[in-house]
Amino acid sequence: MTSKLTRRGVLRAGMATSGAALLSGLPATRLLAQEPEKPTEIIVRAWGGEWVEALKKGVSDPFTEMTGIAVRHDLTEDNEIQPKVWAAVAQGRVPPIHINWDTTTNATKSALRGVTEDLSDLSNLANTTELAKPVGLDGYPLVNTYGYVYVLAYRPDAFPDGPPNSWKDLLDPKFKGRIALYNDGIGFHFPAQVAGGGSLDDIPENMDACWDFVRQIKEQNPLLGEDPDFTTWFQNGEIDAACTISTNALGAKRNGVDLAWTVPEEGCKFDTDCLWIPKNLPENELYWAKQYINLALTQEGQQVWLDGLGLPGVVPGLTPPEGLAGDPSYPTEPEDFERLIRISSAVQVQNESDWFAKFKEIMQG
Amino acid sequence: MSQENDTKTFRYPLRWRIMDALEAALDVLWPRRLSPYSGWALIMPALLLVGILVLGLFQIAESSLHVLDRSTFMPAEEYTLANYEMVADSATYWRVLWRSLLGAGLTVFFTLLLALPYSYIMVRTPSAAVRKALLVALFLPFFIGQVVRAYGILIVLGTSGAVNDVLGLFGVEPVRLLFNFPAVVFGLVQYMLPFAVLMLAPALTAIPRETETAASSLGANWVRTFWHVVIPMAKPGLVGAGLVVGTLSLTDFAMPAMLGGGSQDFIANAIYDQFFRTADQGLGAALALLLVALGSILVGIVIAVFGAGTLGMGGKK
Amino acid sequence: MISPTQRILFWSIVWFCIVILSVPTLIVVGASVTAGNIISFPPDGFSLKWYGEIALARDLRQAFGRSIIVSLICLAVSVPVGTLAGLALTRYRLRFANALQVYLLLPFTIPLIGSGIGMMLVFGSWRILGSVWPVGVALAVINIPFIIWSVSSSAASLDGDLELAAANCGAGRVETFFHVTLPGVMPGVITGGLLMFVLAMTEFLVSLLLTDARTVTLPVQIYNNIRSIITPDLAAVSSVFVVIALLAVWLLDRLVGLEIFLKSK
Repeated sequence: MTSKLTRRGVLRAGMATSGAALLSGLPATRLLAQEPEKPTEIIVRAWGGEWVEALKKGVSDPFTEMTGIAVRHDLTEDNEIQPKVWAAVAQGRVPPIHINWDTTTNATKSALRGVTEDLSDLSNLANTTELAKPVGLDGYPLVNTYGYVYVLAYRPDAFPDGPPNSWKDLLDPKFKGRIALYNDGIGFHFPAQVAGGGSLDDIPENMDACWDFVRQIKEQNPLLGEDPDFTTWFQNGEIDAACTISTNALGAKRNGVDLAWTVPEEGCKFDTDCLWIPKNLPENELYWAKQYINLALTQEGQQVWLDGLGLPGVVPGLTPPEGLAGDPSYPTEPEDFERLIRISSAVQVQNESDWFAKFKEIMQG
Repeated sequence: MSQENDTKTFRYPLRWRIMDALEAALDVLWPRRLSPYSGWALIMPALLLVGILVLGLFQIAESSLHVLDRSTFMPAEEYTLANYEMVADSATYWRVLWRSLLGAGLTVFFTLLLALPYSYIMVRTPSAAVRKALLVALFLPFFIGQVVRAYGILIVLGTSGAVNDVLGLFGVEPVRLLFNFPAVVFGLVQYMLPFAVLMLAPALTAIPRETETAASSLGANWVRTFWHVVIPMAKPGLVGAGLVVGTLSLTDFAMPAMLGGGSQDFIANAIYDQFFRTADQGLGAALALLLVALGSILVGIVIAVFGAGTLGMGGKK
Repeated sequence: MISPTQRILFWSIVWFCIVILSVPTLIVVGASVTAGNIISFPPDGFSLKWYGEIALARDLRQAFGRSIIVSLICLAVSVPVGTLAGLALTRYRLRFANALQVYLLLPFTIPLIGSGIGMMLVFGSWRILGSVWPVGVALAVINIPFIIWSVSSSAASLDGDLELAAANCGAGRVETFFHVTLPGVMPGVITGGLLMFVLAMTEFLVSLLLTDARTVTLPVQIYNNIRSIITPDLAAVSSVFVVIALLAVWLLDRLVGLEIFLKSK
């Protein structure tokens, strides 16, 4: 036991002195002398379907290849892992995952609660754009890894007159039971506020317009699900349109389903996802978890991962996936953002639970 | 038993010696004068095991008295009844509760409707092979588990699933069969059927065949015989089955979650959501405690009306 | 004796029951041998490739292993505890016997979500959440009435004079227990034990609350995967459950006979 502790101590000292060199993503074999003990696997929470496939190809597999550490993907939903991680940290247990792939809003809550490790010492942060830095938090308790748009995805067959211009087009009776939203309404609240005749400036004080519009949509009996559900539903012909991240529609499209997406006149929500590491991991596992995130911030890592997702990343010089250059779901230039809705992280963190609850309340009626 | 071990000349078989050692150990640990309490000693491990649940209830009750502090996302220190007020004031929870009760009621009705003839045929059939086949058809799904069965239903009833394929042969356009209230009730009936039959069958076995023969020989047709003889005599079994099916479906999680398409939550789903989606442990705990109370009240009413033997474990008394 | 109309009506209901009970199972097994890449019925050609796939999938294999461990722990806890309790309830005169019964039925009367959350909080405060064995204990807790019930219904039909006779012949208490009482209630112990094992293998909700990625059991893993894209490998995993169920039914029939469930108490 003591010898192990000393070994750890030595390792820690070694890490501190050669920290910068260690974290620079050099081939692992050359660092063997200073590396902390490798765990047999690290566990990364991920979204299922296209999402996990892309991460596996872009980051997890290269990581395993480089380090020999297996990566296991835990497909527990992001909201569901959160209390489990919180409880583990509060009770002094080792958390159930090494890395959480999370929405920035949810991750910010965890950062506020103080359960996240600081990632400021990742060497590859130096190459990242402004988007990677979390807003309103000190340092890097989390690192944003890409942005995305909650588009209006649709089957062109169901819209013979061309792409829907407005979210209100979904109120057409022929779409009853044929549209889908996220089960907490995420991504839909802000466009609904506009479609319901309200103003984005009133968020969060007055969102009556949003709830009015959600009530109208409720009359259409939407299906409610999580990311992979949208792909499945599009593929099985269960739905004609959905408010979902473009990735899910892209997944079905790549499987041969005729799909398209658009940003209607009211706009679409833009947001970011991130990676973070919970506290209470053993020192060596923390080290390797950080290496994983560092790898996710390399240009090759981002390129392959985000080709799979079809989303714009946080390092410069990425090539957009085929057909997505200039696509509304792939904003890169300032003018691309004009029709996208961005609400400050602070407002979302404070109010998102209430919005989810309110949305659920209406949908469960 | 006297112990005259003349070990030098003769060794008892090992098994005997172990047995003797065990007897001796037991005499030390639990002397015979304690025998009036032996029953308590035997039942104590079970009492302790179930005690974990009681502890759990206390923990839930404790959590339910703290609200969530949104600035730290931790439960606040002070004790308050705010979570209960929130539940009482919320129209959603009443609707979810009503949906769960309605779902449970419908499930009980349809399950018993199907289970009664099934058990009757199974008990009364003269063929042992038929009886066995019916038993196997029952036990197989019972042992397969809810998740896999729900998965099967998802495949069968999907818009491009088997049922819609069959309907398609008759020129019927694919219909949405899943992700609505009837789908959840169907899933629950399918899930509960084995429970109900297994609880009904012994009650039907207990009805002597002669009573039915007597009724029909007196001129009653089968409907009247069934209605006036079989059902009243099977009442304990019906009540027991109804109670089990009712409470289990009232509190079910998997069927509404998997077959409901997100908008058909039962109370268990609402509780789960509070714990694991909104991370509001206090509110979830308050809901959980209310559900426990609701379940207990239902069981209490049934036991009060129909007697405690309904779920009896003690065998003959 | 059964009139024709009754026969037709009842048998059609029975057939309807058989169809709704069995068809989902059959379809799952059928879909698992498809050669295609999506779930379809009738299957798209015959192949066992998805079984090869799951045999190679490490997380599924590990989850299966953990399910077995959890079920064995559940068995190890519940069989002794349940057998003793079943005997205590039938062979001994206990004060407050009715209250005891109500108490021991708590695992049935407390909704599973309540039991699960309660145990999650208790195990959390004991710092044992996150290991595999507490899941086995938890499953023993929620299903314990099954084995108490099956042992006590066996014990109720056991003649108490046998134990007295054994004692008369000089058998000690341990000997009487192992050679007279236990064999007498063995059908109940076997039935209860099998039920406990299979129910622990397939239990979902409480396991969902008590496990995480390191301790996930097979039903929870399946549930998590269903929320992802539904591919035929899940059908193959589900078929494993069908095989386990078949095995359990066969064992139950061989050891005690399924008809035991038809006996009136």
